[in-house]
Amino acid sequence: MHINPLRPVFALAVRRGRPAWLAGLLLALPVFAAERLRPVSFVNDVVPVLTKAGCNSGACHAKAGQGQNGFQLSLLGFEPQEDYEHLVKESHGRRVFAASPDQSLLLRKAVNRVAHGGGQRLEEGSEPYRLLRSWLQQGMIFDRDTAPKLVSLDVQPPRKTIKVKGEQQLKITARYSDGRTRDVTPVALYEANDRAMAEASETGRVKISDIPGNVAVMVRYQGLAAVCNVSIPLGAPVKNLPPNKNFVDELVFANLKLIGVPPSPVCDDATYLRRVSLDIAGRLPSAAEAEVFLASKDPAKRDKLVDALLSSPDYADYFANKWTALLKNKRDGASDITANFAFHSWVRDSLLANKPYDQLVRQLLAATGTIEGNPPVAWYKRVKQPTEQIEDVAQLFLGVRMQCAQCHHHPFERWSQHDYYSMSAFFSQIGRKPTATAGEDVIFHKRGVAQAENKKIDLKAVVRVITQSSTYQLSATPNQHNGVDRQNYSHFYPRRMQAEVLLDSIDQFTGAKTDFADLPAGTRAIALPDNSYNRGSAFLKVFGRPEGASVCECERASSASLAQSLHLMNASDVKGKLGAGGGRAERLAKDDKPAAPKIRELYLAAFAREPQSHEQAVVEEYLSRPREDAQGKPLPPDQARRIAYEDLLWALINTKEFLYNH
Amino acid sequence: MRVGLTGFATLSLPGLFRLRAAGAAQPNRPKTAVIMVWKPGGCSHLDTYDPKPDIGSEYRGPFRTIATNVPGTRLTELLPLQARLADKFTLIRSMKQTAGGHPAGSMQMLSGDLDTRDKPKPRLPDWMSVAHYLRAREGKRTNPLPNYIGVNAPLEYNGPAYLGDAYSTFAVQDDPNLPRFEVPNIGVGNSAESRRLGDRATLRQSLDTLERAFDKEGELGALDQFEAQALTLLTHPQTRDAFDLSKEDSRTRDRYGRNRWGQQLLLARRLVEAGVEIVTSQLSGPLCGRTGVWDDHAVDHHIFDALRFRMGNYDQAVSALIEDIYARGLDQRVLVVVSGEFGRTPKISFDRSTGGGDGSGPAGTTQPGRDHWPQAFSNLWAGGRFRMGGVIGATDKRGEEVTERPCQPADFLATIYHHLGLDWQHATIKDFTGRPTHIVSGGSPISELTG
Repeated sequence: MHINPLRPVFALAVRRGRPAWLAGLLLALPVFAAERLRPVSFVNDVVPVLTKAGCNSGACHAKAGQGQNGFQLSLLGFEPQEDYEHLVKESHGRRVFAASPDQSLLLRKAVNRVAHGGGQRLEEGSEPYRLLRSWLQQGMIFDRDTAPKLVSLDVQPPRKTIKVKGEQQLKITARYSDGRTRDVTPVALYEANDRAMAEASETGRVKISDIPGNVAVMVRYQGLAAVCNVSIPLGAPVKNLPPNKNFVDELVFANLKLIGVPPSPVCDDATYLRRVSLDIAGRLPSAAEAEVFLASKDPAKRDKLVDALLSSPDYADYFANKWTALLKNKRDGASDITANFAFHSWVRDSLLANKPYDQLVRQLLAATGTIEGNPPVAWYKRVKQPTEQIEDVAQLFLGVRMQCAQCHHHPFERWSQHDYYSMSAFFSQIGRKPTATAGEDVIFHKRGVAQAENKKIDLKAVVRVITQSSTYQLSATPNQHNGVDRQNYSHFYPRRMQAEVLLDSIDQFTGAKTDFADLPAGTRAIALPDNSYNRGSAFLKVFGRPEGASVCECERASSASLAQSLHLMNASDVKGKLGAGGGRAERLAKDDKPAAPKIRELYLAAFAREPQSHEQAVVEEYLSRPREDAQGKPLPPDQARRIAYEDLLWALINTKEFLYNH
Repeated sequence: MRVGLTGFATLSLPGLFRLRAAGAAQPNRPKTAVIMVWKPGGCSHLDTYDPKPDIGSEYRGPFRTIATNVPGTRLTELLPLQARLADKFTLIRSMKQTAGGHPAGSMQMLSGDLDTRDKPKPRLPDWMSVAHYLRAREGKRTNPLPNYIGVNAPLEYNGPAYLGDAYSTFAVQDDPNLPRFEVPNIGVGNSAESRRLGDRATLRQSLDTLERAFDKEGELGALDQFEAQALTLLTHPQTRDAFDLSKEDSRTRDRYGRNRWGQQLLLARRLVEAGVEIVTSQLSGPLCGRTGVWDDHAVDHHIFDALRFRMGNYDQAVSALIEDIYARGLDQRVLVVVSGEFGRTPKISFDRSTGGGDGSGPAGTTQPGRDHWPQAFSNLWAGGRFRMGGVIGATDKRGEEVTERPCQPADFLATIYHHLGLDWQHATIKDFTGRPTHIVSGGSPISELTG
């Protein structure tokens, strides 16, 4: 039922158990008297108005943002008791004036009748204005302990299928501890998780744009949040689905049917081989591997390939590279080298042995001792503060970002400061004592023993279920319906190769090697133990290898940039690889074989596929062109050939087909 | 000439290969721009912009003061050329921050990070990357030049942090005073190389056949754009011109000073004239003296000898830049800021030199120096339609503490953002944790400057 404190006076009076004679009396009273009888709640009425008007947002009067001009409110109104103190008592109560509510600074500022840095926030005489006015008039009372508390938030509809360009009005009902409900639609806050797909107005009206898929509108009201999930169907026929190979396909294809977006077909063998090698082993397949895989008639060859890649040491190298960056294995000083190498080896060996995930995490979080005796202790070496520990653990292992809740209730989540500090208490019993090695502590538990159930979570099984699914195997080429989809896995979304993988791929393709300080010759970039090698490698830096500063994968830059294009085209390290002694260009130039098999080798090595006839023709023509030296004299054929092959390597590396995993 | 992105990606600019069909792009309607001249290591405020002639010799230093063309404003005798232009700049004598180390001090000034501890990497993006990023979001640029160029860029204690390297500086780390820098060397060897790169690009184009249809996100489109921009950068006449100091009148070049600093600042002016909106130029290297920076501890430099050695070139270059932007009417659009991370201790300290060289006595000789002083220092602002000819703030009689109108790093940054038309009050950028982070926190533009 809709209860507005200013209007349905009867219902309220009766429901609150006032004597019937009062209701009778009310009939006779003018409206203003009724207003006075219905107490306005500070917590349930006033604070939501301030929140909706943006008064307590970070840029305005929120305490977290210093509070403009000395007027401080808690961020988004999560601490009403404090807000009350600031509003009513601070500065000798200058902000409020019960005897003449309209003269209160609170209202005069809000309607911009006295100069207000935030401009006009409320219309004079509007409902929110009258609500604040009534609260002032009633004597600016803070809720009694017995006042009803907000217990839940309900959004109608919670789930709906809406056509492209359609609209939907949401209705938000708050439920209080005394059983009352109230329509808070006008005062709740709305936010769509993808604004390209849907926009939600201040009054809770959702407008769908023209992109089919799924979108969620989050509704916030005081400390609570509710979500309306909207499916926007394209409505195209979804037929000829690839086989359901496991639960991934069941879920993905069911959703695609629901929204009417047909998936692209499964990709060809060459694309799959290249894609899955890059994703599991972090490297290109060799020309020889490509040849064998393409020729194989085994119907289970894709599944077998996944198993082979997962049991290769490349898998461990590649995933250790991912994990050590997220676990902040970074070198701040020269003395970190021992700890960083030990920690990297521990992660890599754990992955190679397929140590269950829960065991891996437990060994990390419950680690005690010294780095030499127990390498996972290195995590505590770098992540020292309990606040940092809980934030990293929450984000890495629970998928939740708790940072905001350190200083105030999380503005967009249900986490409070209480949750934050309860969680951080888990780490309060971790003790540390300095060792003989500067900067390295011995870690022990002051009290209690960390224990947990054994779950045996198989990390390789996760990779297997993804890469063997038909969903993962879909072509990157969209059909006429699914081109705009970036959300529902209707086709493969191409990604630029990450820095380390790209560097290794260029090395593998050109036959060159990159030297890293103090590491054995031939060490690949995905096997680097920490971030210190970025400093010496312009390539890794410009392509965004992370520095291990953050637990967020987003630290890894995946976007293109001008610097990257310049680097690939003209940087001396890349140019040096093209002409590397003993490299592919030199070998092919010296080889007396006809051009065709050599071109085939290049295409298998770069793209895991055979060249097409027009590509063959373009390349053959390029290779056979006569070449001149700087003075315009014809070059001897062997030199000309060498130059031509270097050019060809350059051109193939600089194609998007090379740079992307597709 | 060597041009690189933050020190790498070496490429030779001139005539690498023929200009491709790319339609000769015109610069956008000119937007406001900033040139920041950075004095790494920290410049002694007492010996330059905030002289204290009436204190004891343990503080004062040997330099006399001179009048400027603004009655009442005096500088030390090290700045005679700027003294003649005092109506064309405003000094802030009450700049202060709270970090005594070079990394933290630089991070305070350049990125507004209030942390006082020295960190190896900046946590927040510097204002240049922020401005680069926010300007990039305003729309596509047609100007082929990168929008943020560092002419001998400050790189050590600043960077794009969570904005990523795409928004870092296009760094020109070579000496623009060198002949090979100023004369495009289109030799025979280069034209062969240029032909070869042209051949490669054409070959690549005919082999780059990956299905484009899947690129609805514009990711490959963006890559195409960067590739085209990279080629343009190498070949476009406007690009070449912007870096070509030989196109400048030789009297102008002389006015700036025929040395690295002078030509750096001339190049900075040339770049903003060509439409680059964010330019930094760090005055460092051999012209600073033995250690290459302004960090005049007694163990490193004889501070007064070092200043005598250094300030002639400095005064000439900075005064030329100020004069030039007014002479060309750029002052309406371009703001020049000259600062370092902190000032130096008013009280002179003495220690043994650790090595002889320019501005430093032979190893072992006792010499005067000044140490780090973030509590109070000066910086200089010119152009930008700001109020000129003034002095903002003051320090006490020894130059130790700010006594009037303290200016914080956040005010420094907000003033620059204000000039660039960026919403310093509300603009936020998401950090690695997804938290929207204000580009400035707790400051506001210095109203005595901005009017």
